[in-house]
Amino acid sequence: MKNNDQNGAKILEVKDLCKDFPGVRALSNFSFDLYKGEVHCLIGENGAGKSTFIKILSGFFKPTSGSIFFDEEKYSLLTPYLARKIGIQTVYQEDILVPQISAAENIFLGSEKDGQRLFIDYGKMADRAKALADKLGIDIDVGENYERLSPPDQQFVKILKALALEPKVLILDEPTQAFNIKDIGLITDMVKRISAEGVSVIYIAHNLDEIIEVAGRVTVLRDGKKVNTHDSRGKPLNSGDLAKEMVGRPVNLFYRKKQHAVGDYIFEIKGLKLKPDSRAVDFRVKEGEILGLAGLKGAGRTEIARAIFGAHSKHEGDVFYRGQKITPDNPIKAVKSGIALLTENNKVDGLFMGMPVDHNITIVGLDNIGKLFIDLRKEKKLALDYIERLNIKTPSLDQEVRFLSGGNQQKVVIAKWLFKGVDILIVDEPTHGIDVNAKVEVYELFTELASSGKSIIMISSEMPELISISDRVIVIRNFEISRTLQGDEITEENILSGFMGADKSVR
Amino acid sequence: MLDKNENKKTVPLSKRFGFLRNQITYLILVILVVSIVATILNPNFLTTRNFFNVTQQISVLGILTMCMALLMISGGLDISIGTMAGLVGMVFTRMVLSGYSITLSVLAVVALSTFLGFINGVIIAKSKVTPLIITLGMMYVFYGIALIVSEGRPHSLGGSFEFLGRAKIGPIPFTIIVYLLIFAFAYLLRRYSKYGRRLNAIGGNVQAAFLSGINVDMHIISIYALSGMIVGLAGLVLASRLGMVRADSGTGYELQALAACIIGGITFEGGRGSLVGAFLGVLLLGIMYNAMNIIGVSSYMQTIFLGAIIVIATVISNIGRMRR
Repeated sequence: MKNNDQNGAKILEVKDLCKDFPGVRALSNFSFDLYKGEVHCLIGENGAGKSTFIKILSGFFKPTSGSIFFDEEKYSLLTPYLARKIGIQTVYQEDILVPQISAAENIFLGSEKDGQRLFIDYGKMADRAKALADKLGIDIDVGENYERLSPPDQQFVKILKALALEPKVLILDEPTQAFNIKDIGLITDMVKRISAEGVSVIYIAHNLDEIIEVAGRVTVLRDGKKVNTHDSRGKPLNSGDLAKEMVGRPVNLFYRKKQHAVGDYIFEIKGLKLKPDSRAVDFRVKEGEILGLAGLKGAGRTEIARAIFGAHSKHEGDVFYRGQKITPDNPIKAVKSGIALLTENNKVDGLFMGMPVDHNITIVGLDNIGKLFIDLRKEKKLALDYIERLNIKTPSLDQEVRFLSGGNQQKVVIAKWLFKGVDILIVDEPTHGIDVNAKVEVYELFTELASSGKSIIMISSEMPELISISDRVIVIRNFEISRTLQGDEITEENILSGFMGADKSVR
Repeated sequence: MLDKNENKKTVPLSKRFGFLRNQITYLILVILVVSIVATILNPNFLTTRNFFNVTQQISVLGILTMCMALLMISGGLDISIGTMAGLVGMVFTRMVLSGYSITLSVLAVVALSTFLGFINGVIIAKSKVTPLIITLGMMYVFYGIALIVSEGRPHSLGGSFEFLGRAKIGPIPFTIIVYLLIFAFAYLLRRYSKYGRRLNAIGGNVQAAFLSGINVDMHIISIYALSGMIVGLAGLVLASRLGMVRADSGTGYELQALAACIIGGITFEGGRGSLVGAFLGVLLLGIMYNAMNIIGVSSYMQTIFLGAIIVIATVISNIGRMRR
């Protein structure tokens, strides 16, 4: 539209696209265009319509109205087959690859060309996979089984698989979701290389810095409508502006925490060793304190947290609560002692997706609502209190939690533990995959909990989160504490230096 | 803003969920249709006598279905319950014939089946092997033991234990009362007890249940044991109703119980499904069999129909998930 001066030709143009689901307009008069070799980012909160749009482009949804022009050809709808045929490839968040076969086999699965007739020439296949990876500057072992690759490498394989079909448009749906900061750079570099080859990319992500790094243009969606399209060649992109447009009101990316008094040390980890040869981990947590646990993925943060909770085996070490040795060797004991573990992936090990909201909230604290039998009326009433207190959005208490958004699911998990009445909350990536608004709500909740005397140990990969929420930060590196930071020391540089082990003073 | 969004988003989903819940409505509908068709074809179908006949025929299956339903909701399964019931019936008959008192024999075989269920539970909880494989093996083990106990012949109770399977209170067969009591017990357990709620959670997501501090192994072992205890009762009803017990008297019930659960909307995934659905599943199977008998459908055709019902019911209950 106003970008007519763009030098490439338009590969894709979408006009007045609408998609209705019963009772809801998921996409409303959405117009969008994409130039050859451009990276066009889509941002918006969960439910803004991004996924609906890319599902229309990949042929999984039939648009209610509107038209799609691809390579000057008009389509009123696409099927998955047609979308692929004309050159649209989508890489979804979900894993669709086969874990037990090699990266190379996965890349060419379904499009095997070598020795076509009956047998596959694995040598040639590996060579082609390697060549493809090299072209994009990726260093992976294409012969390794997919399941043994690291999350970033798995993501690369998914993207390479899409590229193997030589698409004109590549759609990446939150490709960096499971990544830490260092690895996000790998993906953004790769995407830049891909677009330099002339492939157009539609890129969806929540992390605004990443968007600004990679985007040519950014389109903001809200409630199924386009809010604005920004061009990086005009005014430089600004994360504050983008966030504001996403939520429809100004947001602070750095949450400003209310200060409150912190009590004495009440929770202590002594001499914790997960492996016989690692150095012991010792730390203490105060009453009402939020202790950040920083570290790269794989540094051992999650394992240490799980070991404290009795859900991961440890070599030795003890846990003390208010001077008493509790050292849980299973979660049953941990929960009895008043410790909660909120894991990173609620779907896998936090929620009962097929159970209604109220049953999820009360499951750990069933003792509060009956001796042998459950007082169902009391259960509903108390569950409702938590739904109101935590501002959980659900049409009813009977709604199965799998139908809630990520942010609301996270709040249900928090409610589950608060209902039990725990004193120590260990939270692993509490805002992973939830939108900006929900994040702020989680931060507010944590601050409120801390000021009411609960202690929170928060594992996080997000710098703003660690820096703005934590009273102290412990940096974990290779299953050991590499730095302890408090007050003004909690800066991005110091945390990063802890990741790398650059700080010698603690040795 | 988020709120509006959320509400809008959940409308179609809750509708879909409503469909699943309607499985019960649709089961009742199918039962009514089958009954009406059967009555038109043969008015003898719609008599009190035939009604009690049907319910008496389904009582053993009904009791076993409650075991299966509780296990499936907990994420488990036990296909050894059929031969276990047969073994119970056989041991009981031989004890009675050897001169032991009825009371002692009843207590002994219920203790036996509880123990057998306990064994199943321990192996499944501790080995983490899928219950299908474990209980498949145990199915043969129980059958083999029953064969040994029977010495390969049928044994007649000789009319000494007719009360449980054949007695009537007024016009109502006693077995129906037993079945309804078991159903009520299972229903209360599932809906109102903390134990039942935790079983449900284990069935829904065993990893999350473990991390929520639920003693997963204890719950799994105890529900298999409890199921075994109920199987013992079913075996006694079976022996009493048949009067003449063979080692394979219970064989086949396990798959029918599984079928009734699936027809009733209980899935292999666990964590959900309703006992009322399973109850209606049993009723539907019983009515179908009875109607086909009364109309004069050959027993071979009946088998085909049974299979078809299972397939159709499973497909229907899956429609919600197919439309995505």
